[in-house]
Amino acid sequence: MWFRIDFHSSKPIYEQIKEGIKLLILSGRLREGEFLPSIRSLAEDLGVNLNTVARAYRELVMEGVLEVRRGEGYVVADVRREALQGFLEDALKNVLRDCKTAGISEERVIEIVGEVYGGEGGC
Amino acid sequence: MLTVRGLKKSYGSKVAVDDVNFEVGRSEIFAILGPNGAGKTTTLKCVLGLRRPDGGEVRLTGSFSYLPEEKNLYPYLRVKDMVDLFERIGKNFKREKAISSLEKYGIDPKLKVSELSHGMKTLTYLSLVLAEDVDLYVLDEPTWGLDPLARSDVLDALRSLTYEGKSVLYTSHILSEVEKVADRILIMKAGRVIVQGYLDDVKASYKLVVSERELEGHLLKRTKNELIYLVRADRIPEGVEVRDASFDEIFEAIVRGERDVA
Repeated sequence: MWFRIDFHSSKPIYEQIKEGIKLLILSGRLREGEFLPSIRSLAEDLGVNLNTVARAYRELVMEGVLEVRRGEGYVVADVRREALQGFLEDALKNVLRDCKTAGISEERVIEIVGEVYGGEGGC
Repeated sequence: MLTVRGLKKSYGSKVAVDDVNFEVGRSEIFAILGPNGAGKTTTLKCVLGLRRPDGGEVRLTGSFSYLPEEKNLYPYLRVKDMVDLFERIGKNFKREKAISSLEKYGIDPKLKVSELSHGMKTLTYLSLVLAEDVDLYVLDEPTWGLDPLARSDVLDALRSLTYEGKSVLYTSHILSEVEKVADRILIMKAGRVIVQGYLDDVKASYKLVVSERELEGHLLKRTKNELIYLVRADRIPEGVEVRDASFDEIFEAIVRGERDVA
């Protein structure tokens, strides 16, 4: 399992790991009941510290995204999509706020949404 | 693993370390940062018992190994002689590990120490120190003089020590490198601790604000008509523009701010 960690981002690294895992679940590449890599193996793959992965897993368990299987590891829990996508919606809102400040019209934003969601040959 | 409480050390009338407190846990990488003369090296030396503290307590459970700031190996010896020497006097020295590490860094054991570049000297010394099988590695500027690839290899080597339950206490000047490898950081300035905590928490606890009037906070910079401050994320005043702060900006604003006060 791999996704890019930006060590110089102001976003904490454990937060980036949490979001990376949520994205993998949302996109269907990690399914409910599936095992996650061990803490050590993910730390090695991402090039981050053990404690950082441990913290990300611990918080995902608290959020109900992961479950601990005693002696076996961490599995993806039965979790609603809505509970996973909050961080993406927040990011979108931030960009939209910038658009608003920059004077991009609501109509234009909706047009862009249509372009992206309509995708190839949509609309 | 290591607990330091109220550490104080002066050289004559100059206070080098003033009431420093920190802890290094098992499997943890702890970085001490700060401008030149902040007291980083003195702190390490007090931890190791190489300097007698004037006050405070150092509790270290377990064995340790030390990479000094001055990477002075015997210049007239060959690298392989240094390996032999460490085998005799090192702590729990694993010869195989040293040899394979030297090989990985492309250091010819037949070379004399005096023939090595700065970076090669650092890598040789590190290969020897990290081949000692101990609980805590105390490393003063372990990436000094290294090119980016060697630096990256060294960071990986430090990280893999923690996989075996070992801990690292080290000093560095290079913030970008600390961001990649440290669990916890401590920023020193003029002998005092200015900031300490988990790096992720330190990053999350500050924001930059752009303001037209003076505020409480660490001033990062001043433009023609704006002031850019670093403020605690939980103390952001109303009506200012808020931006994320990078670790570089946090470090710069805090270290400079303290200088202004002094």
